[in-house]
Amino acid sequence: MATVNIKINGQQIQARAGATLLEAAKEAGIDIPTLCHHPALANIGACRVCLVEVAKQRTLQPACTFPISEGMEVETESPKAVEARKFVLEMLFSERNHYCMYCEMSGDCELQALAYRYGLDHWTYPSPHAKMPVDGTRKYFIMDHNRCILCRRCIRACSDLVANHTLGVRFRGAKTMISADMDVPFGDSTCVSCGTCLQVCPTGALVDRKSAYMGREVHVEHTASACTFCAVGCGTSVVTRAGHVLRVEGDWDAPNQGVLCVAGRFEPLYDRRERITSPMLRKGNGLVPVSWDEALGAIAAKAKGNSGKKAAAYVTGKALNDTLGEFLRVFQGKMQATVGTVEPTLADLDLPVGGSLADVDAADCILVAGGDPLATHRVLGYRVKRALDKGARLLVVTDKPNGMLPLAHRKFGMAQLDEAVKVCQGSAAPVVIYGGDLDKASARKLATLVGKARFIPLFPASNGYRARELGLKNGFSANGLKVLYLLLGDAELPDEAVKEARRAAFLVVHAAYKSAATDVADVVLPAPLWYEQEGSFTALDGRKVAVKPAVAAPEGMLAEAAVLARLAERL
Amino acid sequence: MAKVKVATDWLAACAGCHMSVLDMDERLVQLLDKIELTSTPITDLKHPPKEGVTVGILTGAISNTTNIEVAKQMRERCQILIALGDCAVFGGIVTMRNFFDMNEALKRAYVETESTVDGKIPCSEELGRPVRVCAVNQVVKVDIHIPGCPPSPDAIYYALSELLEGRIPVLTGDNLKYD
Ligand code: SF4
Ligand code: SF4
Ligand code: SF4
Ligand code: SF4
Ligand code: FES
Repeated sequence: MATVNIKINGQQIQARAGATLLEAAKEAGIDIPTLCHHPALANIGACRVCLVEVAKQRTLQPACTFPISEGMEVETESPKAVEARKFVLEMLFSERNHYCMYCEMSGDCELQALAYRYGLDHWTYPSPHAKMPVDGTRKYFIMDHNRCILCRRCIRACSDLVANHTLGVRFRGAKTMISADMDVPFGDSTCVSCGTCLQVCPTGALVDRKSAYMGREVHVEHTASACTFCAVGCGTSVVTRAGHVLRVEGDWDAPNQGVLCVAGRFEPLYDRRERITSPMLRKGNGLVPVSWDEALGAIAAKAKGNSGKKAAAYVTGKALNDTLGEFLRVFQGKMQATVGTVEPTLADLDLPVGGSLADVDAADCILVAGGDPLATHRVLGYRVKRALDKGARLLVVTDKPNGMLPLAHRKFGMAQLDEAVKVCQGSAAPVVIYGGDLDKASARKLATLVGKARFIPLFPASNGYRARELGLKNGFSANGLKVLYLLLGDAELPDEAVKEARRAAFLVVHAAYKSAATDVADVVLPAPLWYEQEGSFTALDGRKVAVKPAVAAPEGMLAEAAVLARLAERL
Repeated sequence: MAKVKVATDWLAACAGCHMSVLDMDERLVQLLDKIELTSTPITDLKHPPKEGVTVGILTGAISNTTNIEVAKQMRERCQILIALGDCAVFGGIVTMRNFFDMNEALKRAYVETESTVDGKIPCSEELGRPVRVCAVNQVVKVDIHIPGCPPSPDAIYYALSELLEGRIPVLTGDNLKYD
């Protein structure tokens, strides 16, 4: 590593050549205040809070963008730098509504923290004049332009991390405003509500509706976990207070690089389905709450004489690894029942797995066939868009509407798959993203790219990888069944499947929420929710990701695997 | 030694800042060994004495012409003027009114409030006229600013103690808060 010698605040430092002053200072443990800088985003030097004094430079320089060079001498807290910094802060405060006492962000705001750090106890300039609009047209979070400091972190997050390019600015000078598309309300824009801009905003300009005024950093707890709502397996930080989930944030250090999608960040917190809280047994015409002992006893009594072909058990591919293991031990091992998954596992396609987000980053040609990552595995979809921004080519093969089509360099019908494969063959680092709309014949055509391309399966369920590894397949028949056990977790069964399931003489549904399936069941067993579970699942790239309980499960709730183990004892 | 004379008054304020003064509790009693509170809005004598005081404390924002007069009188009658609380220091929560048209605000306050029956916008000549809400330092010179909504009793005690020691208080750490 080439290094240069510089001096910061009198301290001699050897730093990586090409580093910025900010990076070099950070390496040396010297803290330079910043505002528009964010570690996950490119630096643009917009706020001027990081101004420092560099010897032989005529003016103060922004540390976040200034490259170091041999022999450079820097003072980060010289009277001149501090005075300039205070001036910048005062200007920011007096430009818009930064009355902290009724701001949602107060306590965690980066602008406020800097003002405290520099002892700003009053403003010399008159208080703000302009009244800016508040945009509340989006379902999950609000934009209050009055609190915006125009640091443009949101713009960079939207463009560079999510590759959605929704945000920009309109007008100039003091009137400058963050705007969406060609200046439409955010709710009518191309915004996909991934919430990445919300996560990077340093002030109270972007406010999460759900967790607003529910507590600041000092009041809340963070639990590092993983999103269980699709097979991408994004790293999350679940923010809780007093046993309630307030918010989900993206983990910057996980492969998803802080980015989540609406299905992982917001939707789970708005789930209004009715929770199942106790085991229930059909008595007469209705389901009545019973003890675990009674419910499991009833299942065991039916199961005993009905092993082998007369029994079947299906599990959601969302179930965690230890649940899947226990599921097979009980139903396949002990009962020799027919077993399978509720969702397709793509096992029949017989295509490789193992491709990752990093492979997408490195790809020069991406072939999407039989699935739509932007609809079902969105963070993967965003990554594809990022790769396109860097120059990769996109080939989309589908006979259906597909969110990737407008971005495609070339579009193919399923019948033209061969052509798409040929284009891929001519590229240096192709990636194939395939989904459940492929048939076996098309899969065989894709297979000619094995060895050349990296393959990413769009498993319909988050733990599809492990389910496939365990040989589980979907395909669902209750014909002639005496006992059918459905382990659904928080997944829901389509209506036809419920009808089919009910043909079994005795139906057990193990689920988190009340649904059409639990309504017709003979026994209902409660399952914990995503934020109450502990264990792991295998993401679509084969990574084992840990799921941690952020909130304790309600009294009497048992882990899915524990329920299965208890059942096994009785068989 | 003669006690240091201190007077307080409020402008457009919610009384929270004066509550915080009272919240110094026994420390207020200790302070009273060294200072004399000549006048406050919550004692019998409301206005700073003509002969003047050493320290004047104003809470609340400037929101009408009466506030301006009160602020000017305090400035004239004290040697050291403290702006206490976000309203006095920045304009605070009162500045929310600036984001609305004045008539809109008056109508909302005096006519449309849910509990009001047959409301009227007051228009007596004797009343102060509303002005654009601003901080005290936009109208008179302020020597010491203690932000906070309200400032903590600790911050107020610290500031007064420093003054009694002959030092200009510099707020840091938990004493410097905007909420
Ligand atoms: S909305 Fe937030 S992130 Fe975006 S420019 Fe304004 S302050 Fe910065
Ligand atoms: S929510 Fe996502 S898509 Fe929408 S503006 Fe923010 S970063 Fe862009
Ligand atoms: S892409 Fe998948 S794992 Fe990531 S946040 Fe969205 S639903 Fe969750
Ligand atoms: S600063 Fe807060 S507590 Fe003090 S008068 Fe204003 S609103 Fe009331
Ligand atoms: S952090 Fe360097 S200019 Fe904003």
